[in-house]
Amino acid sequence: MTGFLSMPHMPPVENTWAAPAISVAVTVVLVIVVTVVVRTARESTRTPDGFLLADRRVPALQNTLAHLGAFIMYSTVIIMVGHIALNGFDALLMTTAFTIGSVLGVLIYAGPMRNVGGHTIGDLFVLRARERPARIASAVITLTTYTMFMVSMLAAVGQVAVRMFDTGSEPNMLLGGLVVLVVGLVVIAWVYMGGMLGVTRMLALKTVLMGAFVLVLTVVVLAKYKMDVFGLLNDAQANAKPDARGFELLDPGRQFGEGSTPLSDQDPWVHVSKLFCIAVGGMGMPWVFMRFYVATNARAARQSAGWASVIAVGFYQCLAILGFGAVAVLGANNFGMRSEHRDITFPKLADELGGSWLSGIFGGLALISVAAVFAGLLINGVTSFTKDINAARGRRPEPAAELKEIRRNVLIIGLVSIVVGGAMVPLFTHIFIPAVVDLGAATVLPAILYTLYWKRFNTRGLKWTVYGGLAVTLLMTVFSNGVSGAPTTAMFPDLNFKLFDIEPGLLSTPIAFLLGYIGTVTSDERNDAGFAELQVRAFTGATVPRRKSPVAAAGGAGGQDRGSPSGHRS
Amino acid sequence: MGTFDQTADGDRYVSLHNSPEFRELRRQSQTFTAWVSGIFYGWWFLVILLAAFAPGFYRQDLVGPINVGLLFVFVSFNLVVLVSSAYMRFARTRLDPLGERVRADLEGDAR
Repeated sequence: MTGFLSMPHMPPVENTWAAPAISVAVTVVLVIVVTVVVRTARESTRTPDGFLLADRRVPALQNTLAHLGAFIMYSTVIIMVGHIALNGFDALLMTTAFTIGSVLGVLIYAGPMRNVGGHTIGDLFVLRARERPARIASAVITLTTYTMFMVSMLAAVGQVAVRMFDTGSEPNMLLGGLVVLVVGLVVIAWVYMGGMLGVTRMLALKTVLMGAFVLVLTVVVLAKYKMDVFGLLNDAQANAKPDARGFELLDPGRQFGEGSTPLSDQDPWVHVSKLFCIAVGGMGMPWVFMRFYVATNARAARQSAGWASVIAVGFYQCLAILGFGAVAVLGANNFGMRSEHRDITFPKLADELGGSWLSGIFGGLALISVAAVFAGLLINGVTSFTKDINAARGRRPEPAAELKEIRRNVLIIGLVSIVVGGAMVPLFTHIFIPAVVDLGAATVLPAILYTLYWKRFNTRGLKWTVYGGLAVTLLMTVFSNGVSGAPTTAMFPDLNFKLFDIEPGLLSTPIAFLLGYIGTVTSDERNDAGFAELQVRAFTGATVPRRKSPVAAAGGAGGQDRGSPSGHRS
Repeated sequence: MGTFDQTADGDRYVSLHNSPEFRELRRQSQTFTAWVSGIFYGWWFLVILLAAFAPGFYRQDLVGPINVGLLFVFVSFNLVVLVSSAYMRFARTRLDPLGERVRADLEGDAR
């Protein structure tokens, strides 16, 4: 743990791009704009479902844009551009993994999740398992994902502050911590004020701004080459960082080849496992599922996921142009030349093409973009914390009391997050994002596939697949090179107790499927009627109107807006 | 929403689940999903395994700086567009009408 605060992981680099004054000005303007936008949503937060789900009335376009926000994140934009510039073809393959993963959302998740309605994946699980274990499983998945992603997002806030709001060559941790605190508090205020509708509009806004920025930059890069992509790729190849093993930028090998992972003999499986996990688990994010619940009906949810997937392809192709373009335009040795410096390539390119104005604007955009994703996460954490835990404890609060509880949870979870996330900013917590993606592959995917398609699935199967997948993934993560055993990128670089360099999901996903199977068949519990109800509801959206219990009334809220006669839907 | 609420409601779902309309809907939906995701994911797993274990194949030049690997990446990107839009279309034109019949059946009867 020596050198903890001196940040051994971020070697100094001369900061030639940051324009803090412009970034601060842009941030202030954007904060005002977002606050105004969020305030327009205030009326929607007067009921629990209004607060958490915007009464399931989010217009399709807004929902598509907000959904797209999960792809157009600061982290993906900035890291992938730097990654492609450095590692070429193998990194490009990673961008396809994100888009491949998005298809799961369209084909499997979107329609059924909206059709069953509800607030969390727990509402799907309760149809196949006993209520309490189902709710707890949902809460465990959602809140684990929330915690890990939240830590990474707050770290990203600190990273933006260090790179874009400061011109020092050494990371200024005090500034980073301060910005995390301020941004965190502002986000809590936004979520408290605007609820889900406010968050949705915020996400849609940041997607448009970030998407436009990337598009403009791509057009400028292409214009510089008079639309000659071949010329651009040739220049990129010529200016690339030389690879000790002789792998060219446009050829496979820089990540797959022997020796790509430090102190490891597990190549090429390391990179294969990363690609596999992104493609299989990238969509299995509870906070992304919120986008399905808030859609007006299953078709709208499906269309949002589908259009987001299509637009994301175009977006990632822009990132590919920017990644290779950065190498071509900036020239040899002038972009982020080591993996810890991947995040400087994009701002450097912006600075080169548009001067300090463009890079300054990007600084403000980046900060708001990460803040909006944090807001989306926060409301998901609050939803699960309120809905799943209450249901697991058998509590059915009155709407007014529940709304109070929701608001209080926004403050509590938000403030605890700032403390926890802020405390972890000095650590190199990048491992949490892949870990979350692994969980999407090893807990969410098997649990949902079994729930939707396997008649025999039951409580024990659910428990084994969720907790088994979780345990194996977390155990492997602890013994992975993200935690120890890698001199430059581990959370504890001075320790070495690593066993795995491959991404845990490659093993934990099949193990979770197997455990779910064994757990199911060793239990006598069998509920064919529950399966019939789930499939009918998931694939048609039909519900038998119920009047008996208050839960049914809550569940029926999902049914009311789609229960209208079919003629109303064009 | 209670799982063990085996009342008339539960029976209603079971009988609907066994109805020819619902079976047809489920058959069409699952056939499409299984085939498309099988082919789509199969293709992409092949793409990454080739990159890992047969990089020589990807290094063959085609046109200018474009090699086989880059071509496969481009194809993969566009397959995503194809699959997503094909499913949106399939669900809208084939699944939704079937689903609406089932739903009208269930909710109409209950009223």
